Amino acid sequence: MERRENQTPQGQTAQVLVEFLEVAITAVVFLKGVYPSGAFERRRYMNLVVQRACHPQLRYYIHATVSGLLPFLQKGIVERVAVIFFNSGNVPLEKFVFKLAMNQSYGSAVEEVDLESSLRSFLIKLSISESLTKELPPDCRWEITAYFRSLPETGTNKEADLWIPTDTKQWQQPPLITPIKSMSCEPLCLQLYLEHPCLPESTI
Amino acid sequence: MSLDSFRSSSSSGSGSGSGSGSKRTSSFSNATNKTKTKTKKKKTLGVAWGSNALPPSDFSGYMALKNRKLHDQFHAQSSSSTSTSTSGKPIFTGVSIFVDGFTVPSSQELRGYMFKYGGRFENYFSRHRVTHIICSNLPHTKLKNLRAFSAGLPLVKPTWILDSVAANRLLPWLPYQLHQLANNQPTLSAFFSFKTSKLSDMEDSTTNVCQSQDRHSSKVNGLISTVSNDTIPENENTNAFMLEDSTNLVRVKYDEGSTAATQEKTNVQDELEPNHQEPSTSVSSPCSDDQNVKEFQSSAATRLSKQGHSTLTDPNFVENYFKSSRLHFIGTWRNRYRKRFPMPSAGLNKEISNNSSDVSRNSVIIHVDMDCFFVSVVIRSQPELFDKPVAVCHSNNSKGTSEISSANYPARSYGIKAGMFVRDAKALCPDLVIFPYNFEAYEEVADQFYTILHRHCNKVQAVSCDEAFLDVTHSEVKDPELLASSIREEICKTTRCTASAGIAGNMLMARIATRTAKPNGQYHITPERVDDYLCQLPIDSLPGVGHVLQEKLKKQNVHTCGQLRTISKALLQKDYGMKTGEMLWNYSRGIDSRAVGVFQESKSIGADVNWGVRFNDVKDCDRFLIDLCKEVSLRLQCCGVQGRTFSLKIKKRRKDAVEPAKFMGCGDCENLSHSITIPLATDNVEVLQRIVKQLFGCFYIDVKEIRGIGLQVSRFESAETSKQEKYSLKSWVASGNASMQKQKYPMDQDKQNMDGTSSGECRGGSSVKIQNNQANANPISTPPPLCHLDVEVIRNLPPEVFSELNEIYGGKLIDYIAKGKGTSETSSSLQNLFLEQETIDKEEELLNLEPIPQRKLLSEIEAMQHGAEQGDAVSGSGCGPIFKVTHSSSFEKDDLLPSSLSQIDGSVLRQLPEDLKAVIVQQLPAHRTQEICSNGAMVPPSENHHVSLSIKTSENPGSSYSVLDDSLWTGNPPKWVEKFKVSSCLLLKIFAEIYSKSGLSSTLSSVLHQIISEFHQLNLAHQISDETVNIISELLKQYIKVRIGRDIEEIYICFRLLKRFAAKSQLFLQVYNSVFPYLQAAVDDNYGGSLFIAS
Repeated sequence: MERRENQTPQGQTAQVLVEFLEVAITAVVFLKGVYPSGAFERRRYMNLVVQRACHPQLRYYIHATVSGLLPFLQKGIVERVAVIFFNSGNVPLEKFVFKLAMNQSYGSAVEEVDLESSLRSFLIKLSISESLTKELPPDCRWEITAYFRSLPETGTNKEADLWIPTDTKQWQQPPLITPIKSMSCEPLCLQLYLEHPCLPESTI
Repeated sequence: MSLDSFRSSSSSGSGSGSGSGSKRTSSFSNATNKTKTKTKKKKTLGVAWGSNALPPSDFSGYMALKNRKLHDQFHAQSSSSTSTSTSGKPIFTGVSIFVDGFTVPSSQELRGYMFKYGGRFENYFSRHRVTHIICSNLPHTKLKNLRAFSAGLPLVKPTWILDSVAANRLLPWLPYQLHQLANNQPTLSAFFSFKTSKLSDMEDSTTNVCQSQDRHSSKVNGLISTVSNDTIPENENTNAFMLEDSTNLVRVKYDEGSTAATQEKTNVQDELEPNHQEPSTSVSSPCSDDQNVKEFQSSAATRLSKQGHSTLTDPNFVENYFKSSRLHFIGTWRNRYRKRFPMPSAGLNKEISNNSSDVSRNSVIIHVDMDCFFVSVVIRSQPELFDKPVAVCHSNNSKGTSEISSANYPARSYGIKAGMFVRDAKALCPDLVIFPYNFEAYEEVADQFYTILHRHCNKVQAVSCDEAFLDVTHSEVKDPELLASSIREEICKTTRCTASAGIAGNMLMARIATRTAKPNGQYHITPERVDDYLCQLPIDSLPGVGHVLQEKLKKQNVHTCGQLRTISKALLQKDYGMKTGEMLWNYSRGIDSRAVGVFQESKSIGADVNWGVRFNDVKDCDRFLIDLCKEVSLRLQCCGVQGRTFSLKIKKRRKDAVEPAKFMGCGDCENLSHSITIPLATDNVEVLQRIVKQLFGCFYIDVKEIRGIGLQVSRFESAETSKQEKYSLKSWVASGNASMQKQKYPMDQDKQNMDGTSSGECRGGSSVKIQNNQANANPISTPPPLCHLDVEVIRNLPPEVFSELNEIYGGKLIDYIAKGKGTSETSSSLQNLFLEQETIDKEEELLNLEPIPQRKLLSEIEAMQHGAEQGDAVSGSGCGPIFKVTHSSSFEKDDLLPSSLSQIDGSVLRQLPEDLKAVIVQQLPAHRTQEICSNGAMVPPSENHHVSLSIKTSENPGSSYSVLDDSLWTGNPPKWVEKFKVSSCLLLKIFAEIYSKSGLSSTLSSVLHQIISEFHQLNLAHQISDETVNIISELLKQYIKVRIGRDIEEIYICFRLLKRFAAKSQLFLQVYNSVFPYLQAAVDDNYGGSLFIAS
């Protein structure tokens, strides 16, 4: 983790956030047991034991998607980042939603220690949240989806082009929300919650 | 020194008239006392001029003398010539000319004419004596600075004199106006020609007087005409005719004229053939021009007398305004339509709406829309114009700033759009033919249109006069396209105007289809094609997406419906509000669940005038408001409804706003509004006027700044039901017990005595009266101390009541009154004191959290209301209800509290405890808007009381605490901690204690956590009171509000704990149930879902 002194607090936070999201998303995937536990290796992050994907493609997917978010995070147009698990019919079954709010007008320096301890609590809470989640069917798939406040301008960034409009179906009914963790540490306000379909939706 | 002044005199005096040069300069230095040489010089000059009068002391005196002498000479000559046979008829009586520059005939000849025919000739220009300036040509500098040169007087060519002499009567000067001025007003006389013809019909009628402000924001001319054509104009008063700037004047005149024209359009339709735009009609009859002269002169007179501004010199402005307003036509058309095509019975309607959900999948909707209705109706009888660019507009001045209201397709191909200024449109397309509105024709065609639609389909929903939805799902004709084309064909045959139709599965898509179909076509969007069609559709094609919304969406890079679909509903709702967000989400997917045939009841009725509103003084404004009230009242009566809420909207010119581009438009304005709700619905003009006057008083606005006024009435009750209600209320009052009636009587009297300027006093009066009631009828309760009684009130009591009161006070009352005489000042302060007392009582009641009396009170009030229906609550039993009236009205703060802080006795306020003081200050804004009901000559105050009473009691427990404070969580520690500490309720105290113990920045969840440990200690069963429940609920609600955006986890924990408590405690169950809906709404707002709380 290199420090860049000449960055805005938002940029600095976004940098930390990208790292964090990579770890957190891996943790979610690990938690849900989509892959066998042997596909992950134990690593240390923020003085915590975390998992990292061994398979290069999986690792790349998570890494590339999240780092592709960086420019948008800095601009503050990312509203939510969701890890969506869906069944073979592309119907979402469970979503882990990271809701972000970046205070764009925040000017003073970021207390990295505070930020890290807050983020660490996410990972701790996440590791014990399995009881809140639902059992997934065997043939499920997952993806990372980001919800933007506005449609991003195309062609600004190479990495940004990795992001494509999603074709995941949306729920017709508003979902049930189960909060996992919220934290607020200027300029970032991050909340993690689960979304489950209101009713067991068959199709659509 | 003298040399200096002399030199300057010789240089500056060169341009002016004979011999006056040196004289004038001598006056320059006259003020300085070194003028001996000059006065001497003057003397000598005077001698040289052979004046036998005393030498004038300065230049002005000299000029006066000279002018007098010239007049004398002139009169001598003219009288001598009148005695001779050569003298003519005195046609130039009152005309006084000044000849400027070279003329043909020469100025001397003109002078000759003038004294021959009774006119006057001025050698020197004077704006006071000269009525006309005669000249053939003007130098450019004078033209540019016309006003300084002419002082607003008419500039006329010398041929006017010659022609008048030849005609042997005074011809109007207008056609002889100097070419340099006149050539840019070719259409002026066109206006006058038909205006006059109209006038000749109605000799004495007053046409509208429109005065206006020009660009330079000073007054211009107006037009007035109340004269018959053969009057010979009086020329004396023309001198003040202000000619600001020639072009400007012309424009203004013309615009006025065309407005007047449109107002009269329906009557003088024949004269409004296209030729009215050709200058050829300017060959106007002399009499019409006579008229003009007269008009201008009298306008000048008006201006002199009253410096009249604006529109409001037109006594019927409001009426005329709406007569010529297109929006008004569309707005009121609906009522006509409803009368003509009454809706199917309610039962059928219900059936429709019930079915709509099942049928929606295969329903067929046709949207029919006339093609450029306002134009095609006007030109339907002139087929030769069909392929020419035509537009409809108020005014046809090519330089005008009136807006095009509708343009046909050939015109649109030039880029002409509705809302464009005429001058811009003319610039785009010089051949554009402009027609005025023809409202009669519009009505006729609209009626034909709807007759056809109703013949083909029984489910018709009118959108506007030219647009409707048909639900043809169950139509006999199976193919909707066939049906649509036959409808269109029939419309075309009957009305000679074309219509377009869109066919689709719902109203939204049908409407969008029509857009593709236009002009004169039809388009069918089948359900399969909806998606493809929408995907590329620009978002601004969606109904409901206007400029603002479109701009916002564009900022988000959303241009088409397809892009819009990628945004989630929750996000849309968050960014654009619940309704708009949902609408966008649905519309971008072609979802529209509205059913055809649901005729929306209008929620408000009103009238707005935002054009031509200029006031000079309060009187103008009052007159205007009265007219506006009349109009609104008429509309209410038309719709058969009465309203309770009245809001007055005022457009106030912004400080830095320039005169608007649109002539007499409102320009850049601030929108202000005030509204008021009265307890009894009304449509009465007088009541309206009173309300409006009062509302207007709230604005504290300079009437000159007003650019628009609108009055809206809402909260309707249909006229019949409200009448019944009134009746029942009256009967209630009548059946009330006798003593109460007696009490009420002086109350009214008291009200009348007060002149109504200070509503606070009124209120104070009534509240005191109630208190007296209590003292009187309920001997058990202690009467207020003598010093708290209002002497004024007691003095006005009927004798029998007074004696009763006197008994209660053991005879001291008489003495007190005697003492109080002449000390009215103290009485008012006493009254204030008393009000304070009342406030304190009230606060104590609110803070007193013992549930039982509250509940008892409620039930008693209910009982009282029942009792009132029985109507025979006499003396003994009467004391009960009266007692309760006192108490419950102590909750009715509007009646009890002084209307503003300024009425509170400061010394009393200072003595109050801190928190109480805060509450009072919070409750009383610096200026409370005056409640109309307290003024109520229309509503007897007693009725008023009971209406408000019944409302209040129902919501009393819930709202009382939140009224006190809606920022429980502000501050550190939050406000509620202090409040709860002093509370009498054990639970609340514990809340506060735990919170302060656990550190200042602790969360509610931690407090709740700790309560668990002490939970069993609390004997909660005894603690249940509505008040406690409400307070905790309020606390939670405000906590949700503060936290939901950033910390849903905290809220989640709190509610999980609460749910656990609720399983054990009745109180927390109540709290939980009352806050839960609020919680879910808040979560839905912020996260687009509902919170899932596992038990």
